[in-house]
Amino acid sequence: MAVRAQFENSNDIGVFASLTNAYCLVAIGGSENFYSAFEGEVGDAIPVVHASIGGTRIVGRLTVGNRNGLLVPNTTTDQELQHLRNSLPDKVAIQRIEERLSALGNVVACNDYVALVHPDIDRETEEIIADVLQVEVFRQTIAGNVLVGSYCALSNRGGLVHPRTSIADQDELSSLLQIPLVAGTVNRGSPNIGGGLVVNDFAAFAGVDTTSTELSVIESIFKLQQAGPSYVVNDLRNQLIDSMT
Amino acid sequence: MGSSFYNFKRIGIVPPASDFIDITLSKIQRKTPTVVHPGYHINRIRQFYMRKVKFAQDCFDERLTQILTDFPKLDEIHPFYADLLNVLYDRDHYKLALGQINQAKHLIDNVAKDYVRLLKFGDSLYRCKQLKRAALGRMCTIMKRQKDSLSYLEQVRQHMARLPSIDPNTRTLLVCGYPNVGKSSFMNKLTRAQVDVQPYAFTTKSLFVGHMDYKYLRWQVIDTPGILDHPLEERNTIEMQSITALAHLRACILFFIDLSEQCGYSVKQQVALFHSIKPLFANKPTMVIVNKIDVRRRSDLQGEEKELVDSMLSKDGVEHYELSCYTEEGVMDARNKACDVLLQSRVEMKVKQNKVGDDVLNRLHMAVPQARDDKERPAFIPDEIIEKRKKKEENAMEEDEETSVRKLEKDIELENGGPGVYNIDLKKLYLYKNPEWKHDVIPEIMDGHNVADFFDEDIEERLVMLEREEERLEAEGFYDEEAFMADSDDEALEQAVKEMFDRKKVNQINARLGATRKGLPRGAGPRAPNSEDFKAMLKERGASVDASRGRSIGAKKRGRDDSEMEVDEPAQESNAVTRSKSRLQSLVRSRSKGASAAREPSAMGLKNKKQKLDAEKLRNKAQTQRNLHGRQGDADRHVSVKLPKHLFAGKRGIGKTDRR
Repeated sequence: MAVRAQFENSNDIGVFASLTNAYCLVAIGGSENFYSAFEGEVGDAIPVVHASIGGTRIVGRLTVGNRNGLLVPNTTTDQELQHLRNSLPDKVAIQRIEERLSALGNVVACNDYVALVHPDIDRETEEIIADVLQVEVFRQTIAGNVLVGSYCALSNRGGLVHPRTSIADQDELSSLLQIPLVAGTVNRGSPNIGGGLVVNDFAAFAGVDTTSTELSVIESIFKLQQAGPSYVVNDLRNQLIDSMT
Repeated sequence: MGSSFYNFKRIGIVPPASDFIDITLSKIQRKTPTVVHPGYHINRIRQFYMRKVKFAQDCFDERLTQILTDFPKLDEIHPFYADLLNVLYDRDHYKLALGQINQAKHLIDNVAKDYVRLLKFGDSLYRCKQLKRAALGRMCTIMKRQKDSLSYLEQVRQHMARLPSIDPNTRTLLVCGYPNVGKSSFMNKLTRAQVDVQPYAFTTKSLFVGHMDYKYLRWQVIDTPGILDHPLEERNTIEMQSITALAHLRACILFFIDLSEQCGYSVKQQVALFHSIKPLFANKPTMVIVNKIDVRRRSDLQGEEKELVDSMLSKDGVEHYELSCYTEEGVMDARNKACDVLLQSRVEMKVKQNKVGDDVLNRLHMAVPQARDDKERPAFIPDEIIEKRKKKEENAMEEDEETSVRKLEKDIELENGGPGVYNIDLKKLYLYKNPEWKHDVIPEIMDGHNVADFFDEDIEERLVMLEREEERLEAEGFYDEEAFMADSDDEALEQAVKEMFDRKKVNQINARLGATRKGLPRGAGPRAPNSEDFKAMLKERGASVDASRGRSIGAKKRGRDDSEMEVDEPAQESNAVTRSKSRLQSLVRSRSKGASAAREPSAMGLKNKKQKLDAEKLRNKAQTQRNLHGRQGDADRHVSVKLPKHLFAGKRGIGKTDRR
């Protein structure tokens, strides 16, 4: 099920949390409401970890990871790294990387098998991503945006991309990722998918402003309900047209 | 266009004429000067009263303009609202009232203009005052005449503020039919509008709006007053509101009929109404809703009545649904069907009007991957989640069973004093082999080393392994090969770079040696390059040498007494080759001036002394302005005379004391 959540009055929950099939990182906030939203939904299956990166709360934008590993930027302190190591299961590899584009969540989008990266990322970083996360790496843009992590959300079952991604681009990305894709929005029309949505194979969290139409698109493309992803194009078609024009 | 666009609650209060005048006059009293003396200069007196008149005009003007802009203009708003306002307040009356307000505004403007002109000729305080009184009096009279318009507009304003905010462009279900057939009951079943339902006709006297959600969208349901079957001219205001809504809203029409005839109207009458208002349903999805089926169903009909009802449904696109608001049978089915039909027709309309552009189409597309290899990429769902889902499904079947709810961090926080008081235990979830280790303190720095640098247990072994691998690679010639593998282009480039660096280094050393020459006796250091060296260098590089001599040849013809000639050829004694006598003489002079004379930077690149002087002049000129502004310091402090005698001694008129 897709759940609406809010971090201290901000709808951009993807900034303050990152979610994978093996663990979930959540920023340390003023209260535990945000943390508990994740804990209640996925806490039984995977560890939900309070984290900070380089003293900041924007863990979702600074880190990138999947079931196999977690990459953190070079601003991460030794203590934070140790905390993460202690909290995450041993089979998750953690690696701190020296990359100029240090907001890894913005420049890398990945699931457990494939990663899309910013075209200007270091060749070394690319190799580390491939090794640590055990993924195939492709340098790509989404709707002309180099920040691939900001403008899409991926799981192993589907993906949501920037609303202005052309049909040809969607098909190409879909073939690279080997998952069905749709273009859509979150948070009442925001194209910052990565900021408004965190998703894994069995749960999704979106900002509280997300409309029910948007949420139904999310639920169907990530297969979080009975109806499959084709629900978007068949059954939701009329609602989408009527709400968008 | 959102519904807020048609929000008439924002219209400002329209005061009655008497209040209007009181407000304005007291405002003039408060906001303009009140003291004037006959002894003042006549111009000042005139100014005093002109200001009052102009201020009065402004006050009236502002208020009237506010009214004119606040009230919606019937020609500019959605036709539904224009018609509704016409029905409720009478278009002519409304327009006339606003027109009169506008006219009053112009009249007041003219009065003010006239009296300001007259005031210019006022020759005493008394006359000016009388003129002002006359002006304000006439303005007030004009306003007094607007008494009726103003009170009408205030009534209209109060009524408009209570109109439901209907968005004419959104998805709408419109409920209509004879009085007392169950329209409002249906509305109450669908929405939370809580419309009054009573067992008598015309309970609903105006339009009501309610909202509901269906298919992830917001829908607007409009309940209309009942309508009787008679010609349009005979319809009263209450019925006309329904007609307006039917005529102008692009909605799904739900026409209610009551076969039980409990409403007091026969089936025949109801069917006749349907046929007479049918033109209003043109191009709109229409459904006939048979209400009160708990009393009488359509299947119970016989003979003439059956034919009558069938005649309604025989028309194209008219569907029918049976429901009972009492037993709630069929209510939701009818709603869903109506919404689906309306959505379909709206989408078709939009597609037809080409409103569905590429930016919408690309969001209606689902990209399906084409297999690029045989690799399986299954989803990964932990067993706990699968179990949880199963449990949930089971629980959904047997609802009474309570699920064991996990105690969340939020609950713990609340128990321990709430946000801001409770401190989370970050170490609680650490996954150590022995849970007792969780809260052990680990030093960050130990024996002068960062503990984090040694967190690997087998760091030593790894280092050794790495070193061994390196050695092996070296032995295998892995690195040599790399160098060898470089292609010829790279090699050439590398060579060139190396040469460049070598040359740079040599130049550096030479320069350093040259710099020490100053302190040494002449001739001790390395010789400065002369023209011969230069020529040799040119020759070496394959350039023709003769051309470069052109200038010195030309200079020779001019004679040698100009001292600037030394600039061309620096003093050199160590390599005297062939020189004329005059040249030798000047050489002596130049030596006394010092070898540095030729290197004066300001003369570099300039042809002769005149050019140099010109350049200096230009430079000075450019600097004068900067010197003026930027160089002002303490020394430039200047105190002008503080009490100039001619202004402070003796009497002064009322003229200026400010001498600037």
